[in-house]
Amino acid sequence: MASRLLIQTGALLLDTFREAMARKIFWGLFGLSTALILFFLLIMRIDVVEGATATVTLLGFERTRETDVTRLVRGAHSSIATFLYSVGMFLAVFASAGLIPGLLEPGRIELLLSKPVGRMHLLLSRYLGNILVVAANTTYLVVGVWVVFGWKTEIWSPQFLWAIATTVFLFSVLLSVVVLVGVVFESAALATMIPVALMIVSPILAQEKTAIRLLSSEWSRQVWKWLYYCLPKAFDIGRLTLDLVRQNPTGDLFPVWSSALFAVIVLGLALVLFARRDF
Amino acid sequence: MTVNSNDCAVEVRDLVKVFRTRFRRREVRAVDGVSFQVEPGTTFGLLGPNGAGKTTTVKMILSVVHPTAGGASVFGHDSREIAGRLPIGYLPENHRFPTYFTGAGMLDLYGGLSGMDSRERRRRIPELLDLVGLAGWGDVRLGKYSKGMLQRVGLAQALLHQPKLLVLDEPTDGVDPVGRVHIRGILQRLEEQGVTIFINSHMLMEVEMFCRDVVIIHHGKVALRGKVKDLTGSKGFKLSAQAVPDRLRDDLQARAASVAARNGSLDFLFPTIEEANAAVDLLRGEKCLIEGLAPSTSTLEEVFVSTVNG
Repeated sequence: MASRLLIQTGALLLDTFREAMARKIFWGLFGLSTALILFFLLIMRIDVVEGATATVTLLGFERTRETDVTRLVRGAHSSIATFLYSVGMFLAVFASAGLIPGLLEPGRIELLLSKPVGRMHLLLSRYLGNILVVAANTTYLVVGVWVVFGWKTEIWSPQFLWAIATTVFLFSVLLSVVVLVGVVFESAALATMIPVALMIVSPILAQEKTAIRLLSSEWSRQVWKWLYYCLPKAFDIGRLTLDLVRQNPTGDLFPVWSSALFAVIVLGLALVLFARRDF
Repeated sequence: MTVNSNDCAVEVRDLVKVFRTRFRRREVRAVDGVSFQVEPGTTFGLLGPNGAGKTTTVKMILSVVHPTAGGASVFGHDSREIAGRLPIGYLPENHRFPTYFTGAGMLDLYGGLSGMDSRERRRRIPELLDLVGLAGWGDVRLGKYSKGMLQRVGLAQALLHQPKLLVLDEPTDGVDPVGRVHIRGILQRLEEQGVTIFINSHMLMEVEMFCRDVVIIHHGKVALRGKVKDLTGSKGFKLSAQAVPDRLRDDLQARAASVAARNGSLDFLFPTIEEANAAVDLLRGEKCLIEGLAPSTSTLEEVFVSTVNG
């Protein structure tokens, strides 16, 4: 029984990877990550690192120059984390949106459901497989850039690796929305639009304190608060990522656990609806 | 066709499915109290016109569609349980295998989903590809397969985990005549091995040739059930003769169930062999040329049409 579950999970994860590769999602993200790594490798060798090192060696202001390079590395890490968190997240959502409607295509879903696999198992494995595809690419990009910077500057800042965890975490939250929209509407377009809209409104909703001061009616203040507390806090988690990468003190973890709770509820709803649907 | 429910390969009990449209909540009663049993080791055909509720019934047996009322079991297990789907191999109609797979890759995925370990899959996949006549095609992407080849690899997928019950939806759809004979041969061997074969098909001649039991569904209800040999049993004896004088023709027409003229010959249908022999004596007495005498049976198509047309 346990071994059958493992075999089936392995088959479903492998299928998600194969489909991601066939849809050029995996290779697209991989190619983009490689291009970014090569870009930093090239920039550092020619413009930044060698120039900074030369300055250190010639002028002998070792301590100051080391701090400069450290600041430069942290700044670059922050920029990459921000890029990954915003543009990379959009690309990941866009690339993953078709994987759930693809699974539900007539002629494919009947065969999958006729196998001795539970419906929840089927959907959760798809969800997990999708996260693994994005996690593999995120890890490749972050570790690649980290190694390039560390090798060139000899400044190894492990805090940068937090970007993997926070990016994959936010992706898993948004993916729960992709799954729910995919199960209900079977539309890749809607499954892209709604998570992206959530990302766009997040920085606006995060200005909660300012908005509450500015809004005139109690009703609108309550709606703003309700939206802020209920929806995923992409902007706050992004700020947390930057604090972690820059080694700044981090605030409370409310954005993380409330976003995780949102994902659990949305994914739970998707699982219930999927289990009850006829195909 | 009634057996102890624990001994049934498939048992369908008062199955009802009502679909409701999303917004107007209009009800469509696709299946309306269908009950039947399929004996283990038999070949069973589920027939019916388009929209009769056949595919919905099959989907409820496979738990792809949830019944509104009633239930189905497979070898004693509720079909909604995972154990109920373990012994099933299924080939859907209009299947859509992901084209990014090779034939062997697709079989590997579905073998894994059936719980087969990798060693068993590696052993069975070449065997199955060979069985369905696709040896050498395992490493070719499914996008390059013809419709008939996809049907064959689909059959291989259904057989991979050695199921006790094979559910086939239009199994020879898109397959050329040679391929059909090949598939029929495979199914006959499986029947000899004791595999229960459940066919949902429009191809009545094939069902007649292959199935032992049939159920005809019409308007969501069971309209007719029985053994193919009983349903298509003798309806009389056909006597064909040439140069029959008018007087004798009128005499025989009064005795026969029907008379049909064909290219200068007359075909008389007599209800019993004795009446047919008496007619032969009369025809020989008039020196008529007897072309043939043979038992006449109804085709499944005739049974189907008369059932559906009431």
